[in-house]
Parts: sequence; C-alpha cells; structure tokens
Amino acid sequence: MEGVFNQPTFAPCPACGSGLQVEVFPALFRKTSAGQGGETIMMEGESSCFYHPQKKAARPCDGCGRFLCALCDCELDGRHLCPTCLETGKTKGKIESLDNERTLYDSIALALAILPMLIFYFTLVTAPMALFVAIRYWKAPRSILHRTRIRAVAAIVISLLQIGGWATLFIVLATRR
Amino acid sequence: MSDFSYQRLTRARARGLLAIAVQSRFSLWLGPDHLLHVESSGYTESYKRFYFRDVQTLTIRETTRRNVWNAILILPVVFCLVVLVISLFPLKNIAAVITWSILATLLVVPFVINNLRGPTCACELRTAVQIEELPSLSRVRKTRRVLAKIRPLIAAAQGGELSAAAVSAQLRGWVATSAGAPSGVLAADDPNVPPPLDS
Repeated sequence: MEGVFNQPTFAPCPACGSGLQVEVFPALFRKTSAGQGGETIMMEGESSCFYHPQKKAARPCDGCGRFLCALCDCELDGRHLCPTCLETGKTKGKIESLDNERTLYDSIALALAILPMLIFYFTLVTAPMALFVAIRYWKAPRSILHRTRIRAVAAIVISLLQIGGWATLFIVLATRR
Repeated sequence: MSDFSYQRLTRARARGLLAIAVQSRFSLWLGPDHLLHVESSGYTESYKRFYFRDVQTLTIRETTRRNVWNAILILPVVFCLVVLVISLFPLKNIAAVITWSILATLLVVPFVINNLRGPTCACELRTAVQIEELPSLSRVRKTRRVLAKIRPLIAAAQGGELSAAAVSAQLRGWVATSAGAPSGVLAADDPNVPPPLDS
C-alpha cells in the first residue's frame, strides 16, 4: 500500500489491482485545531461583542464596524466579518469567493437568438425574447471566468436582424395587397 | 469582477461514459490560491473552490474507459472493412467501394484519437470535509501535467512537500496508534484522522 503514495508512476491497488497513484500533502496529517469560543468579560467596562454581550470583543467587523468576539469573527479573504455581513455579502453577491453559482444570461439570450433558427417561424416569438433578455440582464454578473459581453452583443444583433426580417416580410405582404 | 484572471487547466468535459445527453460539463481552473472546479450546463455555472492549503490528497486511478471505447469504436470500422473487402472481390460497384472506404476512414478517426490521447483515469481530490471527483481530468497524461503544475503551489501553501518515506512513516504511526489505542478509542473516532475513502 505504501508504494502508491507520492510515487511518479502507477502502483497496483492492493484491493482491486488497478493502477493507482496518490499524491499526499501535509494537510492530511495536520491536526485540527479547536475553534475559539471567545473570552468572557472579566472586568467591567471592557468592550463586549455585539452578538454576545458576555464575551469580550476581539476585533471590529470590517463590513459594519460592530465589535466581534472570537466566536463571531469570520475570516474570509483576509477580512474579518460578522455573520450578518457574511450572509449579506453572499446573498447580494458582494463577496465573490462565496459566489457559488451564476446564471449566464448572455448565453441564454444567444441561445434564444440562434437555436430557433432551425425552425425559422419560431424566431417571430424568440427574437423579441432574446432581445429582452440581452438588454434586461446587460448589467447582471457574468461568469467569474471573465467572459466578455460578446455573447450578449451577438444576441442583440442577431435578434434585431430577425425582427427586422419579420418586419420587412409583414410590410411586403401588407403592401402587396 | 475579481482582480485576477483564472487560468484554464482543462477543457470542459462531461461526466460519465456516455456523454450524449449531456447535462453538465466540468472544467478545472487555476486561481491565485485555489483550484476552481466549474460545472456548466451552458446556461448556469456552479463553482467549487479548493484552496491549496486544504488539499489533502489527489488520487489518480487508471480506468478501462479507453478500452471500452476502443471496443465500441472498432466494431463499425471492422464492419465497413468487411463490406469493403466483399465489394472489392469481385470489383463490381466502384461507388460502393468508395463509399465504404470513406465511411471506414471517417469511423477510424475517433478510434485513432481515443488511442492517441493516451490511457484514461479517474481523479479525486480530497480535503478534510469532502472527496470530490474531477471529471475533466480523464486522461493520465493531462492529469499528470496538471498535477505537475499545481503540486508546487499546494506545497508552497502547506509549507513543503512530503517524500514517499515521510508519508509511509506517518501512515505507520496512524496504524500503530489505532492498533495500540486503549479500548473504546478507535482511529475512526479520532478527529485528527481523516475519514476513510469509500471504495
């Protein structure tokens, strides 16, 4: 079993025999340190935690300035935040490292603009939808992988062309009569 | 938007052998102090961050997926070749010969690509609280390239690398601890011992 750890090549797994290579890092053997519970106020006049008046304040929140004990201090990306600021930051999308999901409205708009072209008549309905989505969510957060706005721009251009095409068709049909 | 740009480590890949009805595709990106695992459905993206300081192990296990695909892909090629040979002797229909030749050539391309990309594997990343499969690391060569890139970053975040001998010594220490532990105290109850990997 020891032959599979931190070796450059595969070694047979002792259980199933398939090739196995395991990279082990020091974190595996790191002892888990106990979380801090916050010190109780011993002397009158000491600053107390906003959320736990019996506990001594350790530092202020970098978000709202409230005093926090060691228990309430949530460290994230080098900042010390209270649970409320952390929750607010996650809910409002202000803390990017807590942002775990994004809706790609630019991709949705582009799909609405392009895919219905397979059955062209659908574009009569989907072209305005694509235009609406692209404009309505123009400022919505895009992928955190730094995508440009090219998809939204393409969706707007394509949907405008489709709308223009339909308008032209209706005008031609109307004037023919 | 963040101040840094993520660096792509792998292209998006679907999970599973049959990726025909693809729901999600997975890719791996490198951040300043973490790995970003992205699951994308095309219209939404989900992110999981694995900070370098938290990575305990990276496991690469060889799989038979390449051989399975070889078996699937070679059948139509063999069929086309058999029909082609039958068409050649005697040579009556040139169009049939050409058609089956083109078909055989087209069908052999994925077979060749599958073998050129090398052996397949499954890769899992383990932290103190989870074991996460990384579906985008599906080929041994690519996985080892990625590992070579991130190993020094993880080591730098954790204060150094471990040699094989050091790992063995630590593991022997664990085994000795669980073997000589007083009754009622099992290694599984020790909060400092990581949870066992599921088979």
